Amino acid sequence: MARSLILIAVIVLILGGLFFLLRPDTPAGVPRDRVFDVSIEGGEMSPAEISVNEGDRVTLRVSSDKPMEFHVHGYDVEREVGPGRKAELHFEADLTGRFEIEDHESEKELGVLQVRPR
Amino acid sequence: MNVQTRRVTATTLAFSFILADPHPALAHGFGPTYDIPIPLWLYLYGAAAAVVLAFVPLALFSRKERDADAPYRYPRFDLFRVRLLRTLLTSRLLTSGLRLLSVVLFFVVVIAGLVGLQSGFNIAPTFVWVTWWVGLSFFTAFVGNVWPLVNPWRVLFDWAEGLARRFGYRDGLELDEPYPEPLGVWPAVGLYLVFVWTENVFSGSYVPRNIAFFSIAYSLLTLYGMAYFGKETWLRRGEAFSVFFGLLGRFAPTEVRVKDPSVCLGCDGCGGDAAGRCVNCYECFARAAPHERELNLRPPAVGLGLPEKVPPGGATFVVVVLAGVTFDGLLQTPLWLEIVRLTPVTQTLGVILLPSLFFGIYLGFVELSRILGGGGVGGFKRFASAYAFSLVPIAIAYQMAHYYTYLLIQGQMIISLVSDPFGWGWNLFGTAAFEPRYGIVGAGFVWYSQVALIVAGHVIAVYLAHSISLRLLRDPVRAFRSQLPMLVLMVLYTITSLWILAQPIVE
Repeated sequence: MARSLILIAVIVLILGGLFFLLRPDTPAGVPRDRVFDVSIEGGEMSPAEISVNEGDRVTLRVSSDKPMEFHVHGYDVEREVGPGRKAELHFEADLTGRFEIEDHESEKELGVLQVRPR
Repeated sequence: MNVQTRRVTATTLAFSFILADPHPALAHGFGPTYDIPIPLWLYLYGAAAAVVLAFVPLALFSRKERDADAPYRYPRFDLFRVRLLRTLLTSRLLTSGLRLLSVVLFFVVVIAGLVGLQSGFNIAPTFVWVTWWVGLSFFTAFVGNVWPLVNPWRVLFDWAEGLARRFGYRDGLELDEPYPEPLGVWPAVGLYLVFVWTENVFSGSYVPRNIAFFSIAYSLLTLYGMAYFGKETWLRRGEAFSVFFGLLGRFAPTEVRVKDPSVCLGCDGCGGDAAGRCVNCYECFARAAPHERELNLRPPAVGLGLPEKVPPGGATFVVVVLAGVTFDGLLQTPLWLEIVRLTPVTQTLGVILLPSLFFGIYLGFVELSRILGGGGVGGFKRFASAYAFSLVPIAIAYQMAHYYTYLLIQGQMIISLVSDPFGWGWNLFGTAAFEPRYGIVGAGFVWYSQVALIVAGHVIAVYLAHSISLRLLRDPVRAFRSQLPMLVLMVLYTITSLWILAQPIVE
């Protein structure tokens, strides 16, 4: 019995110590303003992946070679864009995870928004 | 937004992936991924924890002597002893109601697939891939196996047989041709591989009409198998989902049991050990008198440690399940993309190659373990069959870690879909406009829970492998030695699971 308890204590110490050793101290700093120029040409979005940290204030400046409805899942922000019709989307990245960005009219996936937690 | 646009919003979730995929050769049928890869440090931490914790079950339990009865001695509580639960759970209203509901849902899916909207609101893909496949597998592993009760093919067959008897066919519908025993569960292995292919490789797996066609084809095959070899025989040997859910049900914290072992004596479906215990044999449970039945709560995973006859192909089935759940994650990794680009390996070939690789590694380590343990009664074959069940917790943990956010978010789609299953603009239950909520769990929580799940599955697997070795070798010292290769094997599989979760997602 005593042997088991010592073993468990040692394991907890090792795993706890490792956790604090490996975990980065300040993962992502303070929230920042992030601006991305997003262009859609021939159904391809560039950049295809937008990566931000939790809490960042995000601005997407979107242009497209075809008329379409630019939609970010989860945040449910949506704008019509097209030739000669740029759009700016603002939101605060308060939901973490991976969210699809798509053309709402054709239901075509364009890329993803990735929000990393702090 | 009006109802129409809302509906489109909701459905795009399910279909955007398949419609948008520019490289059909690399398509895989599942919906979007909601998780971001776990950070490198957490991956390393999980791997280290897997190595450290692997020795705990060994250190804690290796001194205990085991007799043949040991795997059967675990705390149990019979839920039927609670009068209210007994009345509720054994009521015909509940059991017949669930069976009827299952058949209704089955037909709704098939009809929705055939005549419903093909590229919009349709219940078939979400119900089959999310509610049934992911949802029911979680339910089976963490609550209990209800598939033997609600399996729509079993229910339909029972009904057809009831009708046939009423109209004078006294022998029922079963031809009861002798089933070739060496074939074991190989038909189920084959069908399960086809299912894995449909899930992960076939680019049209989310198209309602394809789901209907596959369901009809599988139904015809299953009903034919039940009629030809006998209902129970085919369900045990050839019905891939009965075998699959049966496997997960062994992990579940509930079991069905018949008090009088003689009920199980004549039944070749049960493990039927010498002492004649009758656990998790649904066929006998259904035949037993009501006062002989028990529905027990038990510690999770103990069902995987019970000594039971493993039919030919049984161990392969377990490894195919483990490789199958891993395959879905592997397909999204950059490594796999490179493999497909640079070698002749295709997605379809991967469905066969990955399980073969997993199985080869498994057999190698089992043989090592047997040699280090000083051999044992029954030889290599017996060892290979006996250890297979210990891999099940790793498969369940990975399946859970990989899919639980998917079930939480995509699963909400079913709320709106039940109101408008065919996409015809109905609103049967007033929920058609329901929109899924995102962000139920934050990505940080998802990371920690994924690693915790996988490491927990790993520890259970190591514990099971060790108790299986005690049963096979009957000697603590030899069992301890035999477990060293098994630890390496478990660590390998676990680190593979963690590694996939840490990979950047490519689609």
